[in-house]
Amino acid sequence: MATQVFKVPDSIIKDMTYGFCPGCDHGVAIRLVAECLDELGLKENAITATSIGCSVCLYDYLDVDSVEAPHGRALAEATGIKRARPDKFVFTYQGDGDFASIGLGESTHAALRGENITAICINNTTYGMTGGQLGPTTLLGQVTTTSPTGRNVEYYGYPIRIAEHIALCEGTAYSARVSLDSVANIRKAKQAIKKAFEYQLKGLGFSFVEILSTCPTNWHMTPQKAHDRVRDDMMKVFVPGVYKDVLQKV
Amino acid sequence: MTLTATKPEGKVLIKGNYAIANAAVIAGCECYFGYPITPQSEIGEFMSGKMQELKRAYVSSESELASINMVIGACSTGAKAMTSSSSCAVSLMQEALSYATAEELPVVLVSVMRGGPGLGNIYPSQGDYNQATIGGGNGDYKLIVLAPGNVQECIDLTYKAFYLAHKYKNPTMVLADGLLGQMMEPVTFGDYPYPEVDDSAWALTGAKGRGRRVIRSYAPSADDQCVFLNKLYAKYALIEEKEVMYDEYMTEDADLIVASFGSMSRNVKSAVKIAREKGLKVGAFRPITISPFPNKRLKELSCSAKKFLVTEINMGQMVRDVRLAVNGKVPVEFYGKGVGSMIDVEDLVDKIESLIEV
Amino acid sequence: MSHIEIDEQRCKACYLCIDECPKKLIKVGEKVNKLGAKPVEFCDPKGECLGCAMCATRCPDMAITKVFRG
Ligand SMILES: Cc1ncc(C[n+]2csc(CCOP(=O)(O)OP(=O)(O)O)c2C)c(N)n1
Ligand code: SF4
Ligand code: SF4
Ligand code: SF4
Repeated sequence: MATQVFKVPDSIIKDMTYGFCPGCDHGVAIRLVAECLDELGLKENAITATSIGCSVCLYDYLDVDSVEAPHGRALAEATGIKRARPDKFVFTYQGDGDFASIGLGESTHAALRGENITAICINNTTYGMTGGQLGPTTLLGQVTTTSPTGRNVEYYGYPIRIAEHIALCEGTAYSARVSLDSVANIRKAKQAIKKAFEYQLKGLGFSFVEILSTCPTNWHMTPQKAHDRVRDDMMKVFVPGVYKDVLQKV
Repeated sequence: MTLTATKPEGKVLIKGNYAIANAAVIAGCECYFGYPITPQSEIGEFMSGKMQELKRAYVSSESELASINMVIGACSTGAKAMTSSSSCAVSLMQEALSYATAEELPVVLVSVMRGGPGLGNIYPSQGDYNQATIGGGNGDYKLIVLAPGNVQECIDLTYKAFYLAHKYKNPTMVLADGLLGQMMEPVTFGDYPYPEVDDSAWALTGAKGRGRRVIRSYAPSADDQCVFLNKLYAKYALIEEKEVMYDEYMTEDADLIVASFGSMSRNVKSAVKIAREKGLKVGAFRPITISPFPNKRLKELSCSAKKFLVTEINMGQMVRDVRLAVNGKVPVEFYGKGVGSMIDVEDLVDKIESLIEV
Repeated sequence: MSHIEIDEQRCKACYLCIDECPKKLIKVGEKVNKLGAKPVEFCDPKGECLGCAMCATRCPDMAITKVFRG
């Protein structure tokens, strides 16, 4: 008898199709979140504050209660939810622009306060939804629609290393960076998300996973080439790893 | 703060800001989120101690952007939640207020006005009438705005704000000013006088035993958005029909009606009394809900009165609403000053006399 | 016997799964789906599928809906 080793997670809304471009890794990341919700039995107790970006329609993909936040304010809303209802499982799923540019204040202070919530941040080195402009994680030299000759320090300054930044906040229980460039790394990414969720369940404080992801459309690359770019360019600057883990003393 | 009992017995002498804060606690406010700004910092200071004492939620937030969005998050679970702030900082909340109206969430915001524009100063002002009633957020939306005229009303209208916010699922603001916030008056708190509103049909609690719930403003189709906006505006019409509040003094036979809101109305009432003693047919009108505005009543009064005078501590904001309500039927004059203490009673009497003589 | 199931209406024709399959059992099909894409097909005449789920793990759109092993 053949055993089933893969299925569409129960926490994914039945028969929906993502609004993402072909080959966009947002789809993988949301599936991993759903698999973790399934495996930890969280679907019926979860509330998410959604963000603005390509993942704006998260509530059309994940079968959980959700409230939409203005651009950058997801972690303020999540804080409000968790403080009002500490028994609920509360998480956000945000783009890097949402989390680390317009929302960096909310993100940093949620971590500093040690809010017992989990944030997942998609780093695709651009503002995807608005058409691929320079964002807080755009690499030096990277051409975008607002850095037509590439990111230079003179005009644009430097990109932010989000997982390291969040790890510096004392209220952070877990901060990791993972990548979706290969199947092996996708499996590691899932373990990190699961751990972040478990840390919230254990009440340890703020847990965070930065996910290196692709934007084939705005990078003007095939999905295959986009993964090469993650490996060859992004992972050299944004090195995957665990930057804080209160249980492992990292 | 010296007030220790959450529900003090009988009359107590208390500052407007503390009155608002304690009333919120009595109203059952479960969550307070705030960032300091004069002249309302006492609200956050009081809440920091009281909410912790009562094991309710309190966050000293990193900004007003964060405070108001924390309120949205808490309200999405059906909780009674609030923030308080002032003028330039309420400016920072406009985006979130627009979201909260579209998401139909029972946000409660206390705004204690100071001088503007910009940083302005901390003197009393009514310069945020437009900010409160029109707002700076995007799209078609309205807040419910309650304007207390004394410290007792700071309490009564804070109670009412929680009730109306939850009853109509609409952000509701208590609009006070620096004078009211800092002024001490004898008041009674009593019990929260309203029934609890059932939020079980919409609050986010986790999708246990039911389909998921989504609270959002994003409407991908123009047609859907039109349907939603019509529904929202039908709600505003209902609120206008049911909830408009105002206060009138000697308006029945008045040739001149002096309209004002908030703390300015105190001197107006005194001036009207003096003018009456002088035999002048003058009355006072004060909207308590400045949104929705008492348009209907003012229209009625414009049939009997010959003239209106609007006095405000700003350069002329509510006067526009009075002119719209009266709709050209009788002249509407304005008498105000930008910022600072309220206009003196004597000056008001002089102004009344000058308008009745001509 | 190990095998996969593809929901061709969900497939966005990114073809990431084709590269991922160690046995090269996934191919571009001829049909066009409602998204206007040419979905992939599973062709395993010799029963080589490992049930490793590499393809489904890689697929961003959950178009490979089921993987069976054994
Ligand atoms: C206050 C505000 N500013 C700007 C926008 C426009 N906007 C929508 S999404 C977005 C960028 C999203 O980028 P990111 O968070 O990196 O997510 P991605 O789309 O790349 O997944 C911007 C600038 C907005 N909706 N609100
Ligand atoms: S624009 Fe980029 S990030 Fe957004 S869905 Fe398309 S590929 Fe994904
Ligand atoms: S990875 Fe998924 S969406 Fe892409 S071609 Fe394969 S089945 Fe289709
Ligand atoms: S399960 Fe493995 S062997 Fe089978 S089709 Fe998928 S990738 Fe190929």
